[in-house]
Amino acid sequence: MLLEIRDIEVRYQKTVALRGVSMTVPAGGIVTIIGANGAGKTTSLRAISGLEPLTRGEIRFDDARIDGLAPEEIVRRGIAHVPEGRRVFPDLTVEENLHTGAFLRTDRAAVQASLTEVFDHFPRLAERRRQWARSMSGGEQQMLAIGRALMSAPRVLLLDEPSMGLSPVMVQEIARIVADISGRGVPVVLVEQNAEMALRLAQYAYVLETGAVALEGPAADLRENAHVRRAYLGG
Amino acid sequence: MDLLWQTAVNATYAASYMALIAVGLVMIFGVMGVINFAHGELYMLGAYCVVFLYAQENFPFLLAVAAGLVFVGLVGIVMERTMFRPLRDNPLGGLIASIGFLLILQTLVVFGFGRRMGHVPPSTQGKTEIFGAILTHQRLFVIVAAILLLAALWAFLKRSKFGRALRACAQDAEAASLQGISLNQTARMAMFIGAGLAGVAGALTAPLVSPTPYIGHSIIVTAFIIIIVGGVGSLEGAVIAAVLYAFVHTFVTTFFDGVIANIVGLALMLAVLIVRPTGLFGARERA
Ligand SMILES: Nc1ncnc2c1ncn2[C@@H]1O[C@H](COP(=O)(O)OP(=O)(O)OP(=O)(O)O)[C@@H](O)[C@H]1O
Ligand SMILES: [Mg+2]
Repeated sequence: MLLEIRDIEVRYQKTVALRGVSMTVPAGGIVTIIGANGAGKTTSLRAISGLEPLTRGEIRFDDARIDGLAPEEIVRRGIAHVPEGRRVFPDLTVEENLHTGAFLRTDRAAVQASLTEVFDHFPRLAERRRQWARSMSGGEQQMLAIGRALMSAPRVLLLDEPSMGLSPVMVQEIARIVADISGRGVPVVLVEQNAEMALRLAQYAYVLETGAVALEGPAADLRENAHVRRAYLGG
Repeated sequence: MDLLWQTAVNATYAASYMALIAVGLVMIFGVMGVINFAHGELYMLGAYCVVFLYAQENFPFLLAVAAGLVFVGLVGIVMERTMFRPLRDNPLGGLIASIGFLLILQTLVVFGFGRRMGHVPPSTQGKTEIFGAILTHQRLFVIVAAILLLAALWAFLKRSKFGRALRACAQDAEAASLQGISLNQTARMAMFIGAGLAGVAGALTAPLVSPTPYIGHSIIVTAFIIIIVGGVGSLEGAVIAAVLYAFVHTFVTTFFDGVIANIVGLALMLAVLIVRPTGLFGARERA
């Protein structure tokens, strides 16, 4: 297993956001985490990236423990995280935003190659490379956030609700991009409230409910599951 | 007419060192989110580097100025490590710690040099006439150094990888850490640059102001007015507001007096806050 979360607990002051969650991410394909508001999806990704400390359990990447490491060290190991709400740098240009994603890389030629690749993926970013990120639409900012994460040449990509606040057409576009990234060999952990889209894209799925894994299995099976259909797929 | 022009030349000098101080303060606030109340004392410390190395120990002036920049920059790094880092999630705590630190710095300087004005002889007697106005080379040197330093800072922020990281950090520190940018590293850089700029301003102006251990008070008040006028968080705003403030203050001092100039300076701040609560450049465009 590439990434392994074992029985982790995360607390915010008194509230327990994750109560003994275990998940695994294989070295290829898309794993999705679905669940309602406040279920603990974002917290799971933040724990992996070192933004929230664990009060119990451990996280392993490539068989080495990464819990307790600083976020920048976790990025260095190859975990890229597109945070909830995109969080692009508003007063950097599109191109500068992309370069920050490659902050830890020293091979200039390889970084340039990644930039070309990102611009191939997202021609719209290429057209707007000198524009301030703040002046981009929501969908473009999401593309920029994903492009920025890809600039670190990650070994796994964590995506937190990339479809949030986007038009149906844009959601389709993002879905295509996620499938494409996974198709190029980068494993993806996809957090979504849009269970419809997530279960269509992913091979394996976890359902989080109030800080615990309520259900897990191959995405195709969960799509047929009565509870999932009722609670997350609208019947 | 002559007096107007001469006053403009004097104001240019005042603007240049105030810009250095204000930009340093904004840098620290932007990247670390703390208001460094000890900023005036960092200026004072830079001035005393020149009192000690140049006036007392007879090292070359330029060397003493460079030492002021580096030494005060290093003091900034110590402040980051011992105060602002442990208090990272507590901006009020950082502010209070910096007030405590300011008193320590003052006391140390009083112990080392006494309370009285340090006398610093001019490093040059030269002067230049510009269309009738007199500009001493001592002041010219401050103007040139400030322009060079601010241009270098600008190039660093816009062109270099670490400068970009600093700007990213000022805009969204957590998102920056998700790009592999170390917040400890950027904080250390911001403190070195911010404190170093205050220190070099003090060092450059030491022969012109007769430093005392308490000179930081008026400096910090002025710097706060400037960054509020410019828009807290905006480096460009700090430079422009420094020029604006220096011109207003110098002209009013020359044609009325210094007390009225201070009142007008505060009134300027209030006027800007009423018309544009975010300052001239606040929120719209940041570091
Ligand atoms: N900074 C915080 N301080 C206190 N409690 C928090 C904080 N962040 C999250 N929580 C709580 O932790 C729980 C899990 O939140 P989390 O953000 O992980 O949910 P989520 O599944 O991502 O929800 P959403 O779909 O709305 O993004 C919630 O009960 C939330 O209120
Ligand atoms: Mg969330």
